[in-house]
Amino acid sequence: MTIRKILIFTPILVIFFLLQSYFWVPTYEQQSRGNPNRLNEYITASIGDASILNPILSADSASSNINSMVFEGLIDRDEELRFRGRLARYWDIHEEAFFYVNEKANIPGVGKAGAKKVVELLKRAKAGDLPANDEVRASLANIEEIFIIPAREFLVTRHEKKTETDQEDTEVKIKVMAPNRINLVLSSVDQDLFQNLSLILGKDYFSSFNGENYLGVDQELGQKKRAEYAKEILPSTEHNPIVVFKLRPNVKFHDGHIFDANDVKFTFEAIMNPKNLSPRVADYEPVKEVQAVDPLTVRIVYKRLYSPALGTWSMGILPEHLLNDETLRDEANRVGKDPEKFSIRQSSFNRHPIGCGPFVFREWKSDQYITLNGFDDYWEGPPNYKRYIYRIIPDLLTQEMEFYAGTIDSYGVQPHQVQRLQNDPKYQGFSGLSLGYTYIGYNMRREPFDDHRVRMALSMAIDVDKIIKYVLHGQGERITGPFVKQTDYYNHGIKPVPYDPEGALKLLEEAGWKRNKEGWLERDGKRLQFTLITNSGNDLRKAILTIAQGAWKQIGIDVRTDLLEWAVFIQERVDKADFDALILGWLMGIEPDLYQIWHSSQTNPYQLNFVGFRNPQADDLIIKIRREYNYGRQVAYSHQLHEIIAREKPYTFLYVTKWTAVLDKKIVIKETDSKGNVVYKKIKPTKTGIYTFHFNKWIKLPEVPSFAPEG
Amino acid sequence: MLSFIGRSIIQKIITLFFVSVVSFLIIHLAPGKPSQVDPLNPKFTPEMVERFRKEFHLDKPLYIQYIYFYRDLLTGKTVSWKDNQSVLKKIWERFLNSLPLFIVGTILTWTLSFPIGIRSAIFRGGLYDRSSTFFSYLLISIPGFFFAYILIIFVVTRFHVPVIGMETFGLGASSWTHMVMDRIWHLLLPSVLGATGGIAILSRYVRSQMLEVESQDYVRTARAKGVPEEQVLYKHALRNALLPFVTMFGLILPGLIGGSVIIESIFSWPGMGRMAYEAILARDYPIILTVNFISAVLVLAGTFVSDVLYMVVDPRIRL
Amino acid sequence: MIKKDIKNLLQNTGVAPRRSRLQESWRILKGNSLAFVGLIIFALFFCTALAGLILTSGTKPVFDPAMVRLQEKLLPPLSSPNLETLRPEEIPKLGVYLFGTDDLGRDVFARMLQGAWVSLTVGFVAVGIAVLIGIFMGGISGYFGQSHIRVDQILAAFVLLLGGGLLAVGAIFSGSALLLIGSAYIFFSRWLKKGLGKQPPPKWMKVFFAGVISIDTLIMRLVDIMLCFPSFFLILTVVALLPASMYNIMIVIGLTSWMGATRFVRAEFLSLREQDFVTAARALGVSNWRIIFRHMIPNAIAPVLVSATIGIATAILTEAGLSFLGFGVPPPHATWGNILSDGKRFIFDAPWLTFVPGFAILLVVLSFNLFGEGLRDILNPKLKERY
Repeated sequence: MTIRKILIFTPILVIFFLLQSYFWVPTYEQQSRGNPNRLNEYITASIGDASILNPILSADSASSNINSMVFEGLIDRDEELRFRGRLARYWDIHEEAFFYVNEKANIPGVGKAGAKKVVELLKRAKAGDLPANDEVRASLANIEEIFIIPAREFLVTRHEKKTETDQEDTEVKIKVMAPNRINLVLSSVDQDLFQNLSLILGKDYFSSFNGENYLGVDQELGQKKRAEYAKEILPSTEHNPIVVFKLRPNVKFHDGHIFDANDVKFTFEAIMNPKNLSPRVADYEPVKEVQAVDPLTVRIVYKRLYSPALGTWSMGILPEHLLNDETLRDEANRVGKDPEKFSIRQSSFNRHPIGCGPFVFREWKSDQYITLNGFDDYWEGPPNYKRYIYRIIPDLLTQEMEFYAGTIDSYGVQPHQVQRLQNDPKYQGFSGLSLGYTYIGYNMRREPFDDHRVRMALSMAIDVDKIIKYVLHGQGERITGPFVKQTDYYNHGIKPVPYDPEGALKLLEEAGWKRNKEGWLERDGKRLQFTLITNSGNDLRKAILTIAQGAWKQIGIDVRTDLLEWAVFIQERVDKADFDALILGWLMGIEPDLYQIWHSSQTNPYQLNFVGFRNPQADDLIIKIRREYNYGRQVAYSHQLHEIIAREKPYTFLYVTKWTAVLDKKIVIKETDSKGNVVYKKIKPTKTGIYTFHFNKWIKLPEVPSFAPEG
Repeated sequence: MLSFIGRSIIQKIITLFFVSVVSFLIIHLAPGKPSQVDPLNPKFTPEMVERFRKEFHLDKPLYIQYIYFYRDLLTGKTVSWKDNQSVLKKIWERFLNSLPLFIVGTILTWTLSFPIGIRSAIFRGGLYDRSSTFFSYLLISIPGFFFAYILIIFVVTRFHVPVIGMETFGLGASSWTHMVMDRIWHLLLPSVLGATGGIAILSRYVRSQMLEVESQDYVRTARAKGVPEEQVLYKHALRNALLPFVTMFGLILPGLIGGSVIIESIFSWPGMGRMAYEAILARDYPIILTVNFISAVLVLAGTFVSDVLYMVVDPRIRL
Repeated sequence: MIKKDIKNLLQNTGVAPRRSRLQESWRILKGNSLAFVGLIIFALFFCTALAGLILTSGTKPVFDPAMVRLQEKLLPPLSSPNLETLRPEEIPKLGVYLFGTDDLGRDVFARMLQGAWVSLTVGFVAVGIAVLIGIFMGGISGYFGQSHIRVDQILAAFVLLLGGGLLAVGAIFSGSALLLIGSAYIFFSRWLKKGLGKQPPPKWMKVFFAGVISIDTLIMRLVDIMLCFPSFFLILTVVALLPASMYNIMIVIGLTSWMGATRFVRAEFLSLREQDFVTAARALGVSNWRIIFRHMIPNAIAPVLVSATIGIATAILTEAGLSFLGFGVPPPHATWGNILSDGKRFIFDAPWLTFVPGFAILLVVLSFNLFGEGLRDILNPKLKERY
């Protein structure tokens, strides 16, 4: 019967036809099936779309990701997190220091002296004719040249509100009669220079210099204002660190234009241009000027000692010829916008960026993907991948499935999945520590936290390992201090506080807290009682809250807990330092600058040292670290600072979380050895856990290769 | 016949008018001041909201808004509030994406239901019949999204192939057969999911129609005459049982829009259902209203087509 | 065949004693094993939901579905809690996590219990609303369907509606004025009817008293209009626009699914109207309402009951679908739909979060469907015999 046959065979045919399509689809194992180009593509995914593809304007992580591929900075950090040259071949840091000749001061053994005499004295000291200790000698040896800047007069105008209620600014004209100044050229930055020189020139040679005497002001000004001006216009001493970058020759932008010093200068000016509203202004504020000495030399002069400044030059360099005033004006006219108001922020460059990084921007489909092509003229040689694709997939589950299917090459594993995915033979897994840590902070202004023993006891009573095991699924590590654990600044010699409730009780007894009949700790009839708070909406912190509460209750501390809305938590409690103890986290940069969080000057309301940590020794170290340009010394200072903070326990440092990422195992490093043979190597994370460090050498192979045993 | 068509068209237009009024009212009278454009969004300054209200006539009384809206819609000038793109253009793009899903789903439904239904009618009461009955109920009862996830887990963990989206990502420069087959593969799961409910219901319906027809006199006569059983079933019974299904062709039209919201959002399929869902999330009223209006048109057109088909197929019926 | 007819005849004339009808139903139900299983599951589900209501509500519930224990998250079913890290009140009462825990360490069993009650309520209330509207509309349409609505009535209704609308918008004065005019007219027309008696109204008023549209047509057009909306999309839209609440969902599902019941009731009423017992009642001077409620509804209820049972299944599915898309019953209520929707992110790591609620929904919906079909057979034995 035909009808019957049709009835039976049509569905079978339909189903067969649909099912056979499976054999045409690339599976995870054979991703290049029917599509050999797949091996030359790297596909990754992100939850959010990029917003602005311009390194000086972007602030979100997706944009930064793409920017780091398209743009190249002068320097970046190598496997050991030290700086290495990129667009800059090498660089040199030295210093010019200045001080005004204090003609009124008495120099030991010389008496009052003019500029020439001071210079002579210093030259004699340098020659070794004067008695001096080693440190002074080192400082003197560091001095290369000594000049005199002759006295001069100049006019400064300032706009000032006379009283606070004034609407209009009044113009203040200041006549400055600057005295002789001495300029010291140093071969390396020396923060102790003036301290050491004062051993020769007299203890208060520098501090007794009073600039007010050299100012002529045309208006009535308060004494305070005058002193302020004097300090600003005629500072007794001044450090001007100078960084000179020697640039790499013949580096090309993606449009073929040659990169040179003007691009660096332009990038700096673009950041500082208030029209562009760059979020990076703060990083470059200490820069006094950027000079393009010749096409391959950039000289950057800083206003003061500020060692974290060097790291800011890892930012991508913009092409001057595409964004200078002239081209912007043309663009504004072309799209019919007001050229006065038109800035880089409005330019179409931000959606079609051109840099000199390893990848060339190709296409950006909002909320779908961004594609980049390998740059054949990249100065380090073209990357192995021909194409880099950045997909935007907001749903994590979809990302996961796309990874299993081989249409994404990497996947950021969530903590509960680590067990399952890390050891999967199909993938290669990498993990590392993140840059942030979580802590319990104690308000040291309040009882009982003003006692170091109480803070120690509280830390001892919490079993942090248990928190890491159960709350973090083991994806975390203990931390003992405020530095990033994978850097050298972190002092690994400090052991974490052991879990020891008995010991904690003993310490508390020393501090005068004893258990009463009901089991609560008591001193002078007052119970040991406080409130531990954190913000709502963070389940991890909430779990720590309950665990800490339970642990402390066990040793007899009456702890209450409170969860607060983020805005209330920050504005009402943290900013006003109105809390007993709190759970919070910091996200750190690699730089060891701890000024904002730990310096005693930062303990006022709305500042970040809200626990009220004050320690003169620590203050001194913090200042020294941010002024020190020598890596070794910086590390040494950091280790000391770490020790002090770990000992003082203003925080109970809890943990840093671990991230894990998995990658298709078929992705390897491809290199050409000296004989010209192609060698495949397994991708290995750097010491600090960065696995994408050699990304430009990555390539995907059709099959998982077998690696030669490595010696 | 002609008068029937005329009358029915007029009737349908009146119904459509009321549908448009009701849907307009539902959306604009819902609490939460829909006429204020998301005041919670910090990106909207009061001036912007004001300009926006002007631009989309939100400051006018309701009936004027209604007239403006449907005037714009019928002249094709309506724009989406979200991105100022033409609504009809957007819907058309998404419609083209949904269309293959709908076609494959329909093909699966119609080709599978008939053999299944007929077989259970023939072997009624038997094991096959009872298990197919049970499976029909199972398929009707299973929540679509749950079924979708079961299938996804199975396929992804077992076969390691992509199932999400309309095509495999990064299949740039391969031959056209690969591209076509890849698209078909991506169609498979969502359209199977879309078809399950239909297969279950339609095969039950086929079965009961067959049984209905089998108890008719002419079938009994045919049997009594000694016509071979197969011929009785497939020639006499089936042909008559098929009659009502011709009219159902009209009724599948509305399926183009409805019911695909969940499946499309699970599979990230950029189709109409997903667009409608996103429009609801973004409170993009022009899109919501247009989708509603179009689906009402499809329902009415579907019933109209099925009425006409019925008349064409069954000469006994004179409406 | 003749034998069968006689049997039917016997049944219809009620020769068999009353009690045996129940017995007969029971017999048919037991004969239909699928429906019987459906009934049992249905009963079990009902008990579970009740137990869930009792055990999970109150300030100190036996099973606390909202208890977060982060250190216990994503444990598979039947795993036992880690007693070291839990406070005594956090330890699950059963000693094990019967259905595992979710990403916040909440006990899935407790959440399922709570969700059972929510699902049941949503199903029953939504269908209750739909059935009530359906019986009302269908009843009017089937019984009074032939009478026409007059122009004046339409006008009065329009005035009343407009007045109400204006009041709602805030125009108190004009709104209440219109409401007054409308209600005054209704009194006036009553009085007019009595006063005029059998006298024909004057000619100029004829326009107002002309019948425009029959009630039946009106209601059936209304049904047509409602059927034009894609139902799930309509529900989704309305629920998304309304503030999230369990009641809104029930009401919206109810208000969008009464069309089927209306058609059934109307069809039944149309046929019952012509039956002898109704004619007899009318001849006895029984009032219309008494005929409707006492005589017709009990006879028309059977198909409604069947469609209601299946409607509950559909409503539970709809609620689950809404929850899945994030528009369902809002927290803190757990529903099967939102357990599944929350759990879908962990489908590869914690499949039980998908499978437990998924299978629960499947089982319950299936039982309702099977039972509904069984009910159809019981209430309409003729159908059963034929197939």
